[in-house]
Amino acid sequence: MNPSTAVAVTGLTVRHRRTVALDRLDLSLGPGVHGLLGPNGAGKTSLIRVLATVAAPFSGRVELLGGDATSHRERTGIRRRLGYLPQEFGYYPGFTVREFVAYVAWLKEMPSDRVPAAVERAVRRVGLGDRIDAKMKTLSGGMVRRAGIAQAVVNEPELLLLDEPTAGLDPEQRVDFRSLLRELGTGATVVVSTHLVEDVAAACTEVALIEGGRLAFQGTTGELTALGGVSTEGNDSTTHAVERGYTAALRAHRTSAENAREALR
Amino acid sequence: MRPLLVEPGLRRTGPLRLYLRSRALPGALAALVCTAAFGAGAARWLVSLPDFDHTARLPVVVFGPLLATAAIGTSLYAPCDELDRTAVRAWWPRRLVHLLAPTALAAVLFALAVPGHTEAFGPPAAVRNTLGLTGVTAGAAALVGARLSWLPPAFFVGTVYLAAPSRPEGAAQWWAWVMQPGPGTGAWTVALGAFVAGSVLYAWRGARRTTAES
Repeated sequence: MNPSTAVAVTGLTVRHRRTVALDRLDLSLGPGVHGLLGPNGAGKTSLIRVLATVAAPFSGRVELLGGDATSHRERTGIRRRLGYLPQEFGYYPGFTVREFVAYVAWLKEMPSDRVPAAVERAVRRVGLGDRIDAKMKTLSGGMVRRAGIAQAVVNEPELLLLDEPTAGLDPEQRVDFRSLLRELGTGATVVVSTHLVEDVAAACTEVALIEGGRLAFQGTTGELTALGGVSTEGNDSTTHAVERGYTAALRAHRTSAENAREALR
Repeated sequence: MRPLLVEPGLRRTGPLRLYLRSRALPGALAALVCTAAFGAGAARWLVSLPDFDHTARLPVVVFGPLLATAAIGTSLYAPCDELDRTAVRAWWPRRLVHLLAPTALAAVLFALAVPGHTEAFGPPAAVRNTLGLTGVTAGAAALVGARLSWLPPAFFVGTVYLAAPSRPEGAAQWWAWVMQPGPGTGAWTVALGAFVAGSVLYAWRGARRTTAES
């Protein structure tokens, strides 16, 4: 494995009772911001949860930050260097933002003398500095999500997994968040699951497209855009171009999957 | 006069304190102490009634521990389960301490609430019921979730209280264990079995997550 590869997944299969969420997926990710795109139910959350070590794969190999995620001993070391924002995360409503982020710092076993400063820095980075001692239950949806991002970055993770981080953020917060993503992506491997193509266009250097539990496309944002071809419409924007690329990649994958099925008959 | 603390957040974010608050344990412990105090008062009052003797303490020995274990059971709820799963250290030792420490406190408090008459409904019966019902509640938390963990033991105790024969013999020694006098071996066996099984199941699996999982 390449030492700079933070995520190396081979033959990953995840099942939820009888349905197959991920089907023998191979994926390898290095430093930078990776957009994880795909239709609803494609398996994005299943993949993120396996990478976050909260869900166990049915089969396959998952190597994270150079360690085997299925080995109990190595998982301990991986978790210290991992940040995770779940799509839905609960919190004790009586906690302040500071307490919530400190609680996660404790889960990550950060040295206690470093926790207060790390908590303040993480909360400032998501623009919640003025609400750090406000109770979580008094925050708006967007603020709760930003507190969620703060807990994910409190330990300066080398692998950061964000599941739908921009849901509930207003346009200005989204712009701020994307610049934070770019900043984080300079040193760490950031995986952002999203269904907003504009998030990818604005902040991601690479894209992995998942459909039906399989990898439909992986490449740079530029390569995805190029798949869409040139627009015949006059006022074409980057977002439109990425959207066209996304649709083209998805259709190409579906066609090849159908052809493969036909060939098997 | 001492100067104010420079960083007020520092003291409030001690890990133990955060953990206790995240599980609303201060409230659960307060509920536990109040239940035991109320139980002690009720026991004294029942015994003082005309024509009643120390055996009148049976409802306290049965329902006191039931209320106390309900408080412990609901405190097993983890509000941020998904994030807790990313914890570096294994959860099972913390879960065990979380379950056993309040249980030990409840057992001591209820033993003190019904002093004397160990051959009937005194401290041994109170301790046995606290341990046994803790096991049932912890098992229920693992199977149906922490917030409803009080329901199966409440249903069990309610049914047994109504259905148990006035002089338990034979099989009733086993299934009506919460109603037995202190020394009964059968009742202790069932209670300890439930305690060990429920505690191990909870420590191993944790409370069942009740939020929608995608």
